[in-house]
Amino acid sequence: MKRREEGYGRWWTAVALLVAAAAVLLVAGRSFLAMRVDLPIYPGPGVTQIGALSDYFDGLIGTPADTAVYVLEGDEPGGTALVLGGTHPNEPASSLTAIALIESVTIVRGRLIVIPRANRSAFTCTEPQEGYPQTYTIETPEGPREFRYGSRGTNPVHQWPDPVIYINAAGQSLAGAEVRNLNRSYPGTPSGNLTERLAYAMVELIRREGVDIAIDLHEASPEYPVINAIVAHERALNIAAEAALFLEFEGVQIGVERSPENLRGLSHREWGDFTDTLALLVEAPNPAQGRLRGRTSAELIVEGVDPYYVRAAERGLLYVPFSAEGHPIDERVGRHLQTVAVLLDVYNTYSADDIVMAGVPTLADVLDRGIGAYLAPPGGGIESPT
Amino acid sequence: MTILYQIITVGVIALVGWNLLREKRLVEQMAAALVLIPLILRVLMIK
Repeated sequence: MKRREEGYGRWWTAVALLVAAAAVLLVAGRSFLAMRVDLPIYPGPGVTQIGALSDYFDGLIGTPADTAVYVLEGDEPGGTALVLGGTHPNEPASSLTAIALIESVTIVRGRLIVIPRANRSAFTCTEPQEGYPQTYTIETPEGPREFRYGSRGTNPVHQWPDPVIYINAAGQSLAGAEVRNLNRSYPGTPSGNLTERLAYAMVELIRREGVDIAIDLHEASPEYPVINAIVAHERALNIAAEAALFLEFEGVQIGVERSPENLRGLSHREWGDFTDTLALLVEAPNPAQGRLRGRTSAELIVEGVDPYYVRAAERGLLYVPFSAEGHPIDERVGRHLQTVAVLLDVYNTYSADDIVMAGVPTLADVLDRGIGAYLAPPGGGIESPT
Repeated sequence: MTILYQIITVGVIALVGWNLLREKRLVEQMAAALVLIPLILRVLMIK
């Protein structure tokens, strides 16, 4: 009876539990730390130079936000385009599209600057309580290749604490967690927090490189109204509208949204206001991101199949069609690739400084062969410097 | 700010660890051991 009142805890059970906790700590710690290692990107034949974002703002040197900048330059002079992937690493089609451009596309005229991990810090963690996998796998003809799935915002280990209300450099009041959201931090500030310095470096790159047209790639949850869309700064609205028409003719359903003038801190607004570039943002549908999704897994990220979204579509709750086939990553990356190509084609009709790409697959190509066919094989090529 | 956070966390780890060693109920010992894991990940700035 006395033993029962005192319980079964002894010094040796405490020690045994400490050992067990240490073992769990070791496994969990190794898993979390592994996310800080960049998975390789293999520059294709079109890449002529690899730099770092800190080349444009030394406030990023040695920080987890510094990221690789890939330049693809043609033999003939022309304009300069910027494509940003991985602003939100929980929107994988954006970074995968940028990686496909780096690994398979060449430039005939002008320059293409590609940043595949725009918020590199956000690739080092996932969202709390969302059950996201740390990686997903794409099948290439030579075998499977892993890619990192990350968070919407900068890793809180790298930038802490969040304020209750965040007022960004453009003066917009936002929820506190948005302080770590790169696409709420533009135009950034050189003396700000890590995300604001990252945003400032992006704007500096656009200014110093004389970027003529800048495209920020994203994904959205199927229940979010701005989806399958190009969001354009007013100076880029005609290009977006014309590109949308061509894309619709080619079977890619896409809409156009004008960048709201009173929603400050987003790329399509601040890049356009603070630089001379034509600022555009492109959205594709990501079922793994939405609140109505079922089981969260690497398969959901890649295959995009979710029965709960099918039911939601039947009830008219979504802004995109959603069938049993879902929205696989091949479709989402294919849409982004074709949209980038068409946007640049339309830009070329308005500008003497052409940017001409070769080898960009269309949506139909990617659906036919899979995005893996347009990526380097696993373990092949030269590793990225950061 | 971060160093202050870490100092507070080390203090909490010490208290939880002390409780784990002194506690007579096995369930409470297990709870303390579980709580230690995220605290240590925090103080090491791993998660």
